[in-house]
Amino acid sequence: MAEEYDDGDELILSELDDEELVAQMHDDLYDGLKEEIEEGVNILLERGWAADKVLTEALVEGMRIVGVDFRDGILFVPEVLLAANAMKGGMAILRPLLAETGAKPIGKMVIGTVKGDIHDIGKNLVTMMMEGAGFEVIDLGINNSVDEYLAALEEHKPDILGMSALLTTTMPYMKVVIDAMVEKGIRDDYIVLVGGAPLNEEFGKAVGADAYCRDAAAASSTGLSMVQQRQAA
Amino acid sequence: MSERPARRGGGRDSKRAARQVSQTKQAAFIERRIPYFEVLSEENLALIEHNADTILEEIGIDFRDDPEAISLLKNAGADIQGERVRFPRGMCRSLIQATAPKEFTQHARNPERSTIIGGKRTVLVPAYGSPFVRDLDKGRRYASIEDFRNFVKLAYMSPGLHHSGGTVCEPVDLPVNKRHFDMVYSHLKYSDKPFMGSVTHHSRAQDTVDMAKIVFGEEFATNNCVTTSLINANSPMTYDDTMLGALKVYARNMQATVISPFILSGAMSPVTVAGTATQILAEALAGMAFAQLVRPGAPVVFGTFSSAVSMQSGAPTFGGAEPSLVMYTVAALARRLGVPFRSGGGLCASKLPDAQAAYEAANTLQTAALAGVNFMLHTAGWLEGGLVMGYEKFMMDVDQANMMSVLLGGVDMSENGQAMDAFREVGPGKHFLGAEHTQRNFETAFYRSTLADNNSFEQWTEEGSQDMAQRANTLFKRVLAEYELPPMDQAIDEALLEFMAKRKAEFPDKDY
Repeated sequence: MAEEYDDGDELILSELDDEELVAQMHDDLYDGLKEEIEEGVNILLERGWAADKVLTEALVEGMRIVGVDFRDGILFVPEVLLAANAMKGGMAILRPLLAETGAKPIGKMVIGTVKGDIHDIGKNLVTMMMEGAGFEVIDLGINNSVDEYLAALEEHKPDILGMSALLTTTMPYMKVVIDAMVEKGIRDDYIVLVGGAPLNEEFGKAVGADAYCRDAAAASSTGLSMVQQRQAA
Repeated sequence: MSERPARRGGGRDSKRAARQVSQTKQAAFIERRIPYFEVLSEENLALIEHNADTILEEIGIDFRDDPEAISLLKNAGADIQGERVRFPRGMCRSLIQATAPKEFTQHARNPERSTIIGGKRTVLVPAYGSPFVRDLDKGRRYASIEDFRNFVKLAYMSPGLHHSGGTVCEPVDLPVNKRHFDMVYSHLKYSDKPFMGSVTHHSRAQDTVDMAKIVFGEEFATNNCVTTSLINANSPMTYDDTMLGALKVYARNMQATVISPFILSGAMSPVTVAGTATQILAEALAGMAFAQLVRPGAPVVFGTFSSAVSMQSGAPTFGGAEPSLVMYTVAALARRLGVPFRSGGGLCASKLPDAQAAYEAANTLQTAALAGVNFMLHTAGWLEGGLVMGYEKFMMDVDQANMMSVLLGGVDMSENGQAMDAFREVGPGKHFLGAEHTQRNFETAFYRSTLADNNSFEQWTEEGSQDMAQRANTLFKRVLAEYELPPMDQAIDEALLEFMAKRKAEFPDKDY
């Protein structure tokens, strides 16, 4: 498709039919073109597309491709940041419409590094990928206590709680948080995802998380499928 | 970004296509922008030079079974006792410094691949001389001409290698006295990088020159260097008639020779670093001076192959600290003499492309890079002390070779390199991954290994828990599958084939 436009002729999105436009938006998301994504979203809405259809077919599918190529080492982190930024541009237009129509949003996540741990680059990458997947992400930043996590859950009612740690000395705190959730009887209200370099599958199970996510791409795909399962249930 | 990206970036298809090709650009050589690593003071280097002259003057060098060589050396002022040649102090050095070029261009049939050997340049060359090959699928076996072609193709496809090499493996399926035709033809046909010629007989050296003339043209090949060939001293302190015969042919034709003492220290030189370096200098001085007597101005490269033998078994060892010290020392001696220097490579004694192979090879590759080697023979493929050319090892070494140009390229101190705008943009407590400076530079900022796996344990497991050798196995097959023949004028190809057919018919096949 791209080759057709290599002659430098300005591509007019509104002249494309729906199928071409969606394919072009997948490319534009991939290339991190925020303004073009916003334009594409508006054109589809003007053509009478429902907000959730725009979200699913144009944006989420586009970011799924981005996620796959990130995992495979084709796309690099700075490029995924641009793609996620373009996605956010589209989501900003769609979010109020999705709320109005009562369509289900993709989901919401509260995320933060655990108490004692100030290492947040991995967490930031997860935030970026989750936003890229269409999630609304409330980032609590670093060094979060049980009380801070619980207050955020109370306030934002997310689908997912994400906790990360880089150190073996801080990762056990995830269990402290989850135990507190169990104690309050709210553990099963949330999907709990954990991640960080010293964790593994076994550790995730042992602390009572729903899943351990090995990297940002895995976090977004795991989060997406778990939220969808819950919504379907 | 300072400027919006093109309205249409091409999406997934174009990115996938772009990212799957090696990021290493094919260059004709590496231009060095970092200092040399040296281990001896000027005073100590001068002492080694003095001692080498003492060897040449007092003990002498044997030039065996070559009366012509003896008479040339005698006429030049050397003292001759039978085959023992003793050189007055300083004679060799002055002969070399009078006429040997400090650096020279070796032309490739593709002018863009013509390389410069010497000065601040490094030329990376595949391994040379193995009778066996090895890969994960078929194990260790005698090399064939098909293996030979495969390694020529792999070197051609490897942007980090600047040279096609010579005997990339020994095609033992062909008769000894004729295999050089097919080897030289393979380099000329399947690659367009510069190549090395046959040295196993003076007539085979002449065939190499004649075949090069067909490709480069009689006049051009008579006046320019179009092949560089490996002349080993038969250490200690001996040159034999086979090597001298090939040397004379190449020098007379103004073709380059790498005059290489071949040292397994402890057996072929004294056990010490200083003693070994002294002997290497003496041998190389004698060989290079002889080349200048044959044809003043003929390009010569000061070669060094230095390994240590195990005092337990007598077997050669690689990647050790002492041969590294020898290499640093001799590189400095070659610079003082003012000729290009050959050494180094991905040397190892390991049988497999395993941790021993990687460690030992990395030690010699890095030493050679830091020492200032100009012509790095054996850069890729070497296993088992040179007995085996490994397909997987080749790909591993090529990955290292690609990276070497980055190391030798030095530090970018431009405004962009200083990155002050990145600090101003990001500030404390954030990350640089999304910074404009990062967006501008990320793609070429770090060398990306063609083989290393940096993924999470889980992803690595899902992808089959492959080790380096398995990944290299996949890669060499992919590269061979993607290989395309470089274009060659059909008339030239036919002339080469005709020459070979005619010459092969002139004498019977022999395995000696």
